[in-house]
Amino acid sequence: MRRFLNTPFFALVLKEIRQILRNKQLLFLLIIPPIVQLLLYGSALNPDVQNLKLGVLDYANVYESRELVAALTENGIFAAQTPPVSEAELSDRVETGKLAVGVVIPPEFPRRLAAGNAEIQILIDAVNANTAGIANSYLSQIVLQYNRRLKTTQTALPVQAQVLFLYNPGLTSSWFFIPGVMGLVLTLIGTITSAIAVVKEKDVGTLEQLLMTPAASWEILLAKVVPLFFLLMGDVLLALTLGRVVFRVPFQGNFLLLMVLSACYLFVTISIGALLGTIYQQQQQVLLTAFFINMPMVETSGAIAPVESMPPFFQTLSLLNPMRHYIAIVRGILLKGVGLEALWMHALALVVFAIVLVTISTRQFRNQLS
Amino acid sequence: MNQPFSIAPPPLPICDPTTAIAISAKGLHKQYGTLEAVRGIDFAIEQGELFGLIGPDGAGKTTTFHILGGVMEATAGEVIVLGRSPQDARSVTGYLTQQFSLYLDLSINENLQYVAGLRQVPDEVFQQRRNQYLRLMDLDRFGDRLAGQLSGGMKQKLSLCCALIAQPQVLLLDEPTTGVDPVSRREFWDVLAELSADGMTIVVATPYLDEAERCHRVALMYDGQIQQIGTPAELRVSLGLHRLEVRTSQLAATERVLAQASETDGEIADVQVFGDRLDVLVANLQRGEAQLRFLLRQHQLSAPEIELAEPTLENVFVTRLRQQGAAPQFFPFPRSRGGNQTLQSSTSKTQNSVAISAQHLSRVFGNFQAVNKVDIDVHYGEIFGLLGANGAGKTTTIKMLCGLLEASSGKVFLGGETGNLRSADLRRRIGYMSQKFTLYDDLTIVQNLEFYSGVYGVPSKLRREKIDWVLATCGLVGQETMLTGQLPGGWKQRVAFGASVLHEPDILFLDEPTSGVDPVARRQFWKLINDFARNGTAILVTTHYLEEAEQCNRMSFMVAGEIAAEGSPSELKAAQPGQLFEVVVDRPQFASNLLKHHFDPWRISIFADRLHVVLDHPDQEVAGLRSLLTSHHLILHSLRPIPFSLEDAFIGIVKRAQENR
Repeated sequence: MRRFLNTPFFALVLKEIRQILRNKQLLFLLIIPPIVQLLLYGSALNPDVQNLKLGVLDYANVYESRELVAALTENGIFAAQTPPVSEAELSDRVETGKLAVGVVIPPEFPRRLAAGNAEIQILIDAVNANTAGIANSYLSQIVLQYNRRLKTTQTALPVQAQVLFLYNPGLTSSWFFIPGVMGLVLTLIGTITSAIAVVKEKDVGTLEQLLMTPAASWEILLAKVVPLFFLLMGDVLLALTLGRVVFRVPFQGNFLLLMVLSACYLFVTISIGALLGTIYQQQQQVLLTAFFINMPMVETSGAIAPVESMPPFFQTLSLLNPMRHYIAIVRGILLKGVGLEALWMHALALVVFAIVLVTISTRQFRNQLS
Repeated sequence: MNQPFSIAPPPLPICDPTTAIAISAKGLHKQYGTLEAVRGIDFAIEQGELFGLIGPDGAGKTTTFHILGGVMEATAGEVIVLGRSPQDARSVTGYLTQQFSLYLDLSINENLQYVAGLRQVPDEVFQQRRNQYLRLMDLDRFGDRLAGQLSGGMKQKLSLCCALIAQPQVLLLDEPTTGVDPVSRREFWDVLAELSADGMTIVVATPYLDEAERCHRVALMYDGQIQQIGTPAELRVSLGLHRLEVRTSQLAATERVLAQASETDGEIADVQVFGDRLDVLVANLQRGEAQLRFLLRQHQLSAPEIELAEPTLENVFVTRLRQQGAAPQFFPFPRSRGGNQTLQSSTSKTQNSVAISAQHLSRVFGNFQAVNKVDIDVHYGEIFGLLGANGAGKTTTIKMLCGLLEASSGKVFLGGETGNLRSADLRRRIGYMSQKFTLYDDLTIVQNLEFYSGVYGVPSKLRREKIDWVLATCGLVGQETMLTGQLPGGWKQRVAFGASVLHEPDILFLDEPTSGVDPVARRQFWKLINDFARNGTAILVTTHYLEEAEQCNRMSFMVAGEIAAEGSPSELKAAQPGQLFEVVVDRPQFASNLLKHHFDPWRISIFADRLHVVLDHPDQEVAGLRSLLTSHHLILHSLRPIPFSLEDAFIGIVKRAQENR
């Protein structure tokens, strides 16, 4: 131990820690944005469709048509607004966004219902394609059930689907988001803080002096990375705690496995940042580039939108995105409670990424001399 | 230093009723919290006067400038600038602060336009002044160049242009030439002389005392008070001491004997060691010289060659501050490796073996030849100076020598290594102080020192002692927990020097170590450098300040990437062709303009009330010079040959090299 305290490496680490402790901005960056992002994505970003504004123009206004309207609004997905008085008003209100869904029940509805071929017209504001799709399927289901109620005499359908929701029985969307946001936060903060740590010394001009000391370049780089690594591990714990306490995200799997693989992923993000830091000369350039790299990483990772809903080409491309693998691992361990037997592919990918990126960034750091 | 001489109160400037007083201060005080930065100063500056303010770091110079510039209120006392308060006079005051005030991403023209816009200079007037000042500064060809791409000297000249664009009547310049090379520095001062001759009142602070020689009057400030005011000549006379330049082959031993004598002996007031001579101050010329010769005989030292010279302003400055007890003390460095042991530990290292050597060293950036076939040899125990203008290739050369930059061609030999200059073992034996950025501003002073001693592997037992030595040497005991970023520039340099020698390097690279350091501290700096050299360290140093370059044993002058001259200070001065003349005439500015018309402009410069003129063939040219002056109705008071200073030699070499291109 005494011997270690006398090494250049210890001097370097001590110096980095002292600089970090004096750097209020960095400490702020490590604590506040993760909390804010987790809370925001966990609660505000909710893809569930609720309270869609529904306008019904009921020309028929008979028992059956009122039943239909009641069926539409009874489960809270659609909220009935003041009924429009004409088709012109209805389409106008959909156009201006005052209504998301417009339903027209024609005057001949009861007559054609009796004949067994009634039609209703539905207008959906499809500016938000996702919402429109969901609204559509809800509407179809509601109308289907309504049909079934009308045909009480009919025998049971030949196939009955018995759906069981696994892992997220309450279909709570925040459970899906928290692991994604964890990946997002670690990626953003990991790359930015390490990039700044590496570039700062160049920016203020002390790097040259440092390179003249007996410290090897890997020692200089490692000394910068080690304190950051521990602080970012702290962020992992912070995110897990927030998820558990605020959003009641379950923790089904092995804690140690998650920490080890998180550490692996931190090496990836820190190396990406360090690599950026060696390429550029100023903090400003590094920050801008980090954002440019982080955005596509986040978007193709499945953190917010499922990977499966991307075009096939991008799905394949996303296999090259380490963040995608990490998120898959976190979701697997937290929600499914699975271990390496199910996640080994993702874990292996992460390890390979970490090794490759650490190697490249160390070499790059050494080579930035000339 | 117990030679008593009267410190007569400085003669108050005799105010000629015909010349107006531009700036006057009476009983000026400024207090920051409990710290009294300025403690009652009085002075009056005439219109058109070039007034110098000199003093150590923290003497209150910058505070005085803030008050004169109207950006800060005095706690007590009265200041009048051109008949009004400094605040009201701001529209007629140009103020150049210590920091660069330029926008580096704007061009020269855009910078000037911006300032003119702020100062509401009408467009036609602006164009005319822009042309006039850019021509005066020799910047008119670079109007579209970005300020960030200018050399340090050009930046300072542009800053001056910006201050001049509103045509101020009073110009305040706070250390305007720090980091500026000697050639640009001389040009800068030529411009100031010209402005002052046109009636502009100029107050300038400078740590370079050879510059202060060019002021009409100088005020020596210390501890918030003005100790002395007078013309440079008056200050020199008031010192009451004579300077002897002593040359001997046994420099170190002679210095030891004389330094000891100066502590106890009344005759010898001060001894300072230079690269190949000693400067000895004596109160009485005959007795002093006799005493000196006697002492050397007594110690069986060889008889020296003694030359009488005028005391410099630096002598005045250092002596006065010593009387105040303000000179920083010298503490011997706590060596953990004895001299003998050092010799054994690195077998290649003996006093006369080569430590740093370069053969045909070249470096090309794109199609720019930054360094061209440079040969350098530095021995252990030697102080070697690498001098040159901004952009001459000094820093590039140093970086190649210490392995930070690869050479395009040529060989480097460093501390016994030729191939791998980046090995940890080699670097443990090297000390390096880069230009400006050595310390971490966001660490405290002691944390910085702990870091460097740790990273260089100084044994933990010795760390405390060495760190204490740095703190004591810098006069920072008790302030070690201050953030380094808050230290004034000169102090930071001293701490940085300490940080770079904690591990007792065998080879020391110092890139402009004394930039912004005041004269007393600079002297202490050189004492330390000398101490390291005597203990066998090879030292390669760059500086823009040629008076201190005299401390080097040998030096090379670089011009445009090549070595233009090489030798000891005396050799270089002696190798100068021609002769330097001091010319005293009644209208120096007019005479200077006249002579610059007939001779190469670099040959003429104004020093306060006199001219320095370099003539290559004095026998033929002196007569012509005389008749030229008299034919323009100038009264020639005196014309006498004076010895070249190293700066004169430097400027001559640079200019001749440029002419030959």
